[in-house]
Amino acid sequence: MPNNCAVYLAAGALLGSLLLGGCATTPVQPWERGRLARWDMRWDPDSLQSAMRDHTHFSKEASAGHIGAAGGGCGCN
Amino acid sequence: MATQRTFSPSLAALMSAAAALAPGAHAQTAPAAESDSRVSYRFNQYGEDEYSGATIGSPERYKVYSQQYQLETRVGSRGALNVTATHEVMSGSSPWYVLPGADNRPIQVLSGATIQEHRSEVRAAYTLDPGTTSSTTFNLSYSQERDYHATALGVEHSFPLSNALTLGLGGSFSHDLIAPTDAILYDRVQHEEKDTVSAFGSLAWVIDKSSVVQTGIQLNVENGYLSDPYKLVSIGEDVLADTRPGSRTEAAWVLRYRRAFSGADAALHLDYRYAQDSWGVASHTLDVGWYQSLPHGWQLIPAARYYSQQQARFYAPYFLQAGAHQFFSSDYRLGTFGAFSASVNLRKRIAHWEVSGGVERYHAAADEALGGADLAVPGVLSYTRAFVGVDYLFE
Repeated sequence: MPNNCAVYLAAGALLGSLLLGGCATTPVQPWERGRLARWDMRWDPDSLQSAMRDHTHFSKEASAGHIGAAGGGCGCN
Repeated sequence: MATQRTFSPSLAALMSAAAALAPGAHAQTAPAAESDSRVSYRFNQYGEDEYSGATIGSPERYKVYSQQYQLETRVGSRGALNVTATHEVMSGSSPWYVLPGADNRPIQVLSGATIQEHRSEVRAAYTLDPGTTSSTTFNLSYSQERDYHATALGVEHSFPLSNALTLGLGGSFSHDLIAPTDAILYDRVQHEEKDTVSAFGSLAWVIDKSSVVQTGIQLNVENGYLSDPYKLVSIGEDVLADTRPGSRTEAAWVLRYRRAFSGADAALHLDYRYAQDSWGVASHTLDVGWYQSLPHGWQLIPAARYYSQQQARFYAPYFLQAGAHQFFSSDYRLGTFGAFSASVNLRKRIAHWEVSGGVERYHAAADEALGGADLAVPGVLSYTRAFVGVDYLFE
């Protein structure tokens, strides 16, 4: 479907640009990572809210989860 | 905690950076490097909209009130513990089955409004060497409802491949027990089980001083009773039990990107997931978030999400005849639909306290799916979810 192709292309372009951008940089030393240490740069800054949001989406959608321990199901799905 | 206070601020920052890059950092791992321990509370309210199409049954919409409690703390010199407890109270009616109406237009039949149902869940995660790129996390969770019990175990480990790359590997197992209420009255199954095995791997990469990316794959294999005991399906003149295959394999690819904008004092979050399973369901999910720091300890976090799925092979709102089908479901969650959601969260730090609140609006419809939908999905719905919370940080 054309729309699916657009999504694949967008994802590919994002990944490609990230890879190319990364290749163009020099290695980041540990003492240069202060900005990366901030709360707002975490993969998941608010685990409680993420858990509740994911649980809600899990109960309404066929695909669910992320990269990590899956946990148990519930009567909601 | 004396252990944490032995770290200098710069070392704590470096450890936090390493933890942020570790593949399991999204899970329940170490407390923030800037605090020794944290206790948190959230109150959530969820409410569904009225159905817009033709319906039969109770009009009372589903509502859920949830409370979450969390403790994050250091344990000894090498460990961190995260314990979360959740309690939910639910009530309302939900989609039951679909009947063909005039001109075969679907009529959604809703179940009678339930009395209040409860769900309680406890999760614990112990992380060894938290805040490093070589950490190990053990997970345990138990969820209990009157008719559903789930126990899950998991482990994940991260390996530093280089100064910029971190590999994460892990797996989990869940065993679920299903014992539907009023089983004899409604001719439902009485006792069933379901097992889920998951394996996952990821790669996190420090691109530069202000951006990181992570990509990963996850494989879930489910076996056992995977039907919904509370849902029926209309087949010709009959209304029969929802019947799905006894196994399901799902694979997902995830890409996550974080970029800091120092001038704006903000961070961009971009997440994408593609998932496909052996039932024929395929989905795309795109999340975008903007974490804006403001003066006086305020943070504003607007976010948007788009989700689109293609239906399972055995989904239809109803079946005019059984034909050669072996499996049947009219559960809207297996149909083709798309969903947009938008949210805004606000946080404020006041000394050792942090208060937060937010609201999410979720709108789903069959014609919002990528490429549109061929079949009606009358049960698909929209909802609003809001929360308030408070955290106390021990320093």
